Amino acid sequence: MTIKNAMRDHGQRYRPRMACLKKVGSAVLLEMQDPKTGVKSQLQRLVITTIPHAITGEDIVAWLANKFNISAEEGRSLGTMLVALGYIYPLQDHKRLVVKPDASLYRFQTPYFWPAQQWPVEDTDYAIYLAKRNIRKKGILELYEQEQYNHLHKWMNHKWDFIVMQAKEQYRAGKERKKPDRAVFDCQERAYWVVHRPPPGTVSGMDYGLDRLIDPNAEEVTETDLIFLTFLWLPSLSCFLPRVKSSVSIGALVKFVTTHKNHDPFLAQCLPSNPWVTDDVSYWTLNMANVEIPTKMRVERWTFSFVELLEDPRGRDDFRFFLKKEFSGENLAFWEGCEDLKWGAAAGMSEKAQHIYKTFLARGAPRWINIDGTTMEATVRGLKHPHRYVLDAAQTHIFMLMKKDSYGRYLKSQVFKDTTKNAINPEEQKFTDAQLDQNARNRRPSLSPIAIRQMELEQKAKLAASGPVDITQVMSKLSKQGKDAPPPPPPKK
Amino acid sequence: MPLVNNKVGDDCTVGTDQALTDGKALVDSLIKVVACYRHLASCVGGCTDSLQLRDELRQTRDKAQKLAAANCHHLTSHLRDKSLPEEQRKEMELLWVAFSSSLELLHADMCKVFNMGDIFSLANSAVFVQTGIQGGGSEVAARALSMPDLNQAQSPVLPEGLETQERSTMEQEISQVDHMITDMEMKVNVLRWMVESRGPQYAEPLNSTDSASLALLSMDEEQPGAEHEAARHHSQMLMMLLLLAVILLAAALSVSVVIFS
Repeated sequence: MTIKNAMRDHGQRYRPRMACLKKVGSAVLLEMQDPKTGVKSQLQRLVITTIPHAITGEDIVAWLANKFNISAEEGRSLGTMLVALGYIYPLQDHKRLVVKPDASLYRFQTPYFWPAQQWPVEDTDYAIYLAKRNIRKKGILELYEQEQYNHLHKWMNHKWDFIVMQAKEQYRAGKERKKPDRAVFDCQERAYWVVHRPPPGTVSGMDYGLDRLIDPNAEEVTETDLIFLTFLWLPSLSCFLPRVKSSVSIGALVKFVTTHKNHDPFLAQCLPSNPWVTDDVSYWTLNMANVEIPTKMRVERWTFSFVELLEDPRGRDDFRFFLKKEFSGENLAFWEGCEDLKWGAAAGMSEKAQHIYKTFLARGAPRWINIDGTTMEATVRGLKHPHRYVLDAAQTHIFMLMKKDSYGRYLKSQVFKDTTKNAINPEEQKFTDAQLDQNARNRRPSLSPIAIRQMELEQKAKLAASGPVDITQVMSKLSKQGKDAPPPPPPKK
Repeated sequence: MPLVNNKVGDDCTVGTDQALTDGKALVDSLIKVVACYRHLASCVGGCTDSLQLRDELRQTRDKAQKLAAANCHHLTSHLRDKSLPEEQRKEMELLWVAFSSSLELLHADMCKVFNMGDIFSLANSAVFVQTGIQGGGSEVAARALSMPDLNQAQSPVLPEGLETQERSTMEQEISQVDHMITDMEMKVNVLRWMVESRGPQYAEPLNSTDSASLALLSMDEEQPGAEHEAARHHSQMLMMLLLLAVILLAAALSVSVVIFS
């Protein structure tokens, strides 16, 4: 039953990655807490009283390992996931949502506070909780809680009287309960908010990505749609669908996997260390776009196919350097210009097309490219009414030319041999548990995309300024003065 | 009830003042009932979930809905009155915002209880989660219903079909509350960004005598053992001081009696 209020519902409320919560809650946890077959529970002793239903970390890990027939380490990470999602909460050290495989105590969270996919956590509730905590602790909130409180006070100012009143009423209602229950309820609430409003520097298990418009749990294809599809639509479409034999496509997939399997950070060992696992970013810094010395694995990938070489910015630089030495850089420059036209903004498209024509295609152009007559005619005709894909045919021709001719020579060239020789093979990093903790704590956001774009533009400008070789002038100078003329200064582009 | 004979003077402001106090009382009681409902809802699915708890939930829910309907009536009629003076209108709007927020909280809690009823049905009580709660919610329910004592005749056996009937009633109630929220938005135009709260940013700390006892029990975060010791020590000191004060008072009184006799 979906309960909707069109006024407050803006449609974007399905959180797809949280679909796992249903499985965890209804399946695993209900079995875990079974008094007969679940985790063994014990009493928690406090000063005056004892509170039942506490479980130890080692019992949790042992039960999970036994139930799912997995190793102790996997049981531990499964237990940590349960704690991080908020189904079990630690009684000591409540801010660290991990399962410690020793005698530290945990308790099951009440179903009211279980995380749910369909209800995101409301700020109003958080404000009420903070106000209650303020009452209880007499005005001493933690720093991040204080900041949140002030922030919420600013943004929910119109509700603030209500929030303060509700906090007081909830506090008073809580006092009606017996003292052990009150303490347990306080712990439950505190644990709930540690999961959903994590303290700074910790990772939240509730990171779920984007909201979605469509309910991922709903059936996608209805009855009528199915009938429509099978009897009316698909048969008519099938004559026009492009077809590939599965032997061909599967063969291509197998080939891709066999060539790339040693380069995947998750399938094979990643040197120096997998940043997703150890939180150490040296792998990414060593493989940045404009790095001076590439890694051996990266250079090996350039030999797989021409597309790999061109897609990698460092590989493209290397290739450009090689072509510059061979005085055939205009092919790559033309290809890059066509890419720019295809993917660039629509505003300057006609100017760009004209510029490319003048530089590469016109008769007597400074960087004239060699394409066959029919393509040239078609392109020139198309340039009368330029659009994004007007240079597509010429670009494909040049691409095939580079692939069949220059690429092969590049792989045998001295440039490539030098690059391979200088490529580094980083050492494998081994981290102890303490160092891993340290890495996790020192996680920082990466370079801002604005800064990266800035660097790219600067590099492009530098490239343009260092100037392409003007072939006509070089040829004319050479023919006039023999072979001892230095290349002329690059013309202003 | 004053004779409504005088049409001149401050009759209208007196009337609206009365309306304001009435409205405030209604909203306050709704907030109280919603708070109690939340406490009760947090026990659903736990080891203390029982027919009694569900019964208490139902009663609290009924009371909340009655209060909500009364509030709705009261506030919409006053806010649609064009002749309301500005000051009163501001107060009414504050009450209105409080009312709509509490209604939203109630709606959310009702939805949660409804969904949890799906998973934790009373017929199969083995799945109730062992949460460590030991007592029921009777005192909270008593507070909500403003009755000094809840004498529940607990029926040991779950009547047939009660649960499905309850579920359908609950579905209806939830949609009713939903409609109320929508109606309110439609009928009365309150600009939330214009409403300014008048109360303090921080809730004042309440009656401090219970803090000592709570500190004894608190499973506090930083140093559990040390804080317990400190708290016990603290309360012992308090008792000693109190005793000393009483003794001094008694001595002073006896001295004065001796002097004056």
